[in-house]
Amino acid sequence: MIGMIMFGVALFMLMIGFPVAFTFGGVALFFGIYAEGMDLFAFMPFRIMSVMQNTVLMAVPLFIFMGVVLQRTRLAEQLLTSMGRLFGGLPGGLAISTILVGALLAASTGVVGASVVAMGLISLPVMLAHKYDKRLATGTICASGTLGQIVPPSIILIILGDVLGLPVGDLFKAAVWPGVVLIGLYIIYILIMTRLKPETAPAMPEDPTRSRKQEIGSALLAIIPPLALIVVVLGSIFTGIATPTESSALGGVGAVVLAIIYRQFSFKMVWDSAADTVKVTAMVFAILIGATAFSMVFSYTGGDYLLEDWLHMLPGEQWGFIILAMVVILVLGFFIDFVEISFIIVPILAPVAEAMGINMLWFAILIAMNLQTSFLTPPFGFSLFYLKGVAPPEVKTTDIYKGIIPFIAIQIFVLALIVIFPEWFGMSATY
Amino acid sequence: AQETYTLRLAETWGPNFPIFGDTTKRFAELAEEMSDGRLRIRIDSANKHKAPLGVFDMVKAGQYDLGHSASYYWKGKVPETLFFTSMPFGMTAIEQYAWFYHGDGMELMQEVYEPHNMLSFPGGNTGVQMGGWFRKEINSLEDLQGLKMRIPGFAGEVFAEVGVSPTNIPPGELYTALERNTIDAVEWVGPALDLRLGFQQIADYYYTGWHEPATELQFLVNKKTWDELPEDLQAILKTAMRVSAYDMLVHSQHANADAWANIKEEHPNVQIKQFPKDVFQAMVKANEKLLKEAAADNELASRIIESQEEYLEKTRAYTDISTRAYLNTMAEVE
Amino acid sequence: MRWIIKLDEGLAWLSKICGWIACVAMILMAVNVFYDVVARYAFNTVSIGMQEMEWHLYSVVFLLGIPYALRTDGHVRVDVFYTNWSNRTKAWVNLVGAIIFVIPFAYLIGTYGYNFALDSYAMGEGSGDPGGLPHRWIIKSVIPITAFFIGTAGLNMATFAIRVLSGEKQYEVEHSGEGLA
Ligand code: NA
Ligand code: NA
Repeated sequence: MIGMIMFGVALFMLMIGFPVAFTFGGVALFFGIYAEGMDLFAFMPFRIMSVMQNTVLMAVPLFIFMGVVLQRTRLAEQLLTSMGRLFGGLPGGLAISTILVGALLAASTGVVGASVVAMGLISLPVMLAHKYDKRLATGTICASGTLGQIVPPSIILIILGDVLGLPVGDLFKAAVWPGVVLIGLYIIYILIMTRLKPETAPAMPEDPTRSRKQEIGSALLAIIPPLALIVVVLGSIFTGIATPTESSALGGVGAVVLAIIYRQFSFKMVWDSAADTVKVTAMVFAILIGATAFSMVFSYTGGDYLLEDWLHMLPGEQWGFIILAMVVILVLGFFIDFVEISFIIVPILAPVAEAMGINMLWFAILIAMNLQTSFLTPPFGFSLFYLKGVAPPEVKTTDIYKGIIPFIAIQIFVLALIVIFPEWFGMSATY
Repeated sequence: AQETYTLRLAETWGPNFPIFGDTTKRFAELAEEMSDGRLRIRIDSANKHKAPLGVFDMVKAGQYDLGHSASYYWKGKVPETLFFTSMPFGMTAIEQYAWFYHGDGMELMQEVYEPHNMLSFPGGNTGVQMGGWFRKEINSLEDLQGLKMRIPGFAGEVFAEVGVSPTNIPPGELYTALERNTIDAVEWVGPALDLRLGFQQIADYYYTGWHEPATELQFLVNKKTWDELPEDLQAILKTAMRVSAYDMLVHSQHANADAWANIKEEHPNVQIKQFPKDVFQAMVKANEKLLKEAAADNELASRIIESQEEYLEKTRAYTDISTRAYLNTMAEVE
Repeated sequence: MRWIIKLDEGLAWLSKICGWIACVAMILMAVNVFYDVVARYAFNTVSIGMQEMEWHLYSVVFLLGIPYALRTDGHVRVDVFYTNWSNRTKAWVNLVGAIIFVIPFAYLIGTYGYNFALDSYAMGEGSGDPGGLPHRWIIKSVIPITAFFIGTAGLNMATFAIRVLSGEKQYEVEHSGEGLA
């Protein structure tokens, strides 16, 4: 029960405004010492070490570095505003460009912290400068930066493959359509929203001295260099020259090369970019370390056994089981990390689902989609924290909380579609 | 009423990990049953302690009473732990169990673990591990030059000696790395566990094993915990470890046969291959050289190597006229 | 008050040094990973030692970055109420938080981390992979070192809060990405 009380206390303490990472860590400390004694924290060096040796997470500082360099050299701005110009008088062009860049990043990595922060650095200042509504802008960035969870390659699919004993390749293939549909619906949402409220996402101002054709021509020209960088990063992954993690280093070095080409390079620029990267990276990893202390205390005080007991009470009939399982995962996603959920919950649900004849591939995609949503749900959605960490001070946590709601609704809608019409996504519900 | 003991076990594997995880569950059940509930074993998988390769340290420090892992993972900490899992071109499972229980194996293993305040016991065998998934066929030593392969530990060193570039890739990126030719080959375990990672979808050549002919897992016991247990419970623990280890060997045979039947049926692209003779000859030589290096300036390591070599020679002579002779006969009859 | 100011500035300087080391590690890490890809692709060589150096550097980046980010108020806060509070209230939140959360947390990680690294040193632990790096205790000792500097940065948070309470300093822009990029 301690685990549950701890959630409540952490929630309350977070609201006071002390840094998130140390609130998690500090609350864990009190409950941990109270329930198990100091020695429980002898596990912490091992947990920190496992973050240190998790080389997939190396993509976080490397992607952030790429984002910072692109931002400092104004190349990112150039890319996004040019893409926005291609949409001409259409409002929402920047937001749609952001979603597309997010989709590209998602296809190149599966590390959410990396893409949310990189997108926040690249596109939030541009959108705000063009008078975008803060909520629309932050919602778009969080949602598109989190796409990496479902769009392959994806860490969550690999973990689920491991836990459920499914081939990773099958999972990757099955996740493509749900990812595409999600991206499509985000764009449609932006189109509808901006039709209804054009002031939330103003169109890029047109240059009256130039024709539409010239306008498109110069926009295309401006897109090429930063786009080439993205192609290099993605290309290196798709051709196997680099692993997804390594490609992020190619991106960082590539951004510096672009800066040289555009005469924006200076050693000071590189050093300042490194300093920003260190700060933001530390912010992300401090949260991970605080959260690992939190989940350690949660599970060593019996929280995991309590959850298991609850899960065994789920109904034994297929639709009831699926719907309740999805609701449980969604609600837990408000509070616990997706890795914890995969490892605590999924091994319990899997045999039950299998016994019902449920297609495990379909079940896995449902869980992945659901866990992706958990990154976005207030109050503990990590993507929201990450974006807040790089946003200018006029963007409040509450703006981000409110901005993400429509995107959560879209995710739940797509989840429902996959539940009801699996065949639309090339799957079947049962064997 | 008699005192009950709750022992905490940390395993290197994730929750519900097939075969390996079944072994600890079986061990816990056996210990509880045999002790009529006086022994209770609580198993924490890697998702809980988050330190799959910290099991050694955690049992040593007494943070856990028991561990389930593989001895060769500790070679970076204690070089002599390498020898108690499986050695390239070494003994088969039955031969190695004979060495443990009737040769000097157990004694030597305790000598290695005692300074670290632990006891170690055999913890289940996978049988012969497969040599790995290759995307290109290996026809000569030439084909191995610069070949990028995920193969850790001592076997990696042997491969490195003959020209392979062993490469570290996080498990989460292995599939993608092999699919996109970032690496050329992957060594994992055997059909039952490899099937889950999906390598059969992206690599056509499945090589037979040589590097880990009998991978033995291990149970670790904190010495202090052990000494505090009454003698009858110690005996029960020993028996439960031995029985669950044997069960794992049998289970591995069964699950691998099942998985292999599945691969043959559903992935006709997969071909079983054996490295050519010159490759093996080079690897045998490399292995001898590395063992000599390991034995140099290490009295304990050289005693272990000597014991294994002597035992292998004698036991293999018998295997030759029994199991091998029988399999040869069968091959001719068929 | 004078010594508080001295102490505050001294502690800030410690966090800055951590940040400086982390920045160097950041640049080296990008170069290291880039080099490994090029070496593998262009020269067809793989060095496990260089591959391990990647995560060694990456660990230094995020670990030593934590105290650095603490001084620059780079750690994200939920600012539902915090924004609207006075400097005094903010100072109390930070003072109490530093004393009951940050410093004890750093103390525990530091003591257990020290034993963790010491054990590794005693065993002469190195990499188990061919061509891997020796002396694992060095990278493991970054954990207690970081904990120590998180502790000093926590103390720094408290000294700064005291300066704010005395009216001598104020929280400028309440954090977030300000000063970043
Ligand atoms: Na992805
Ligand atoms: Na293996």
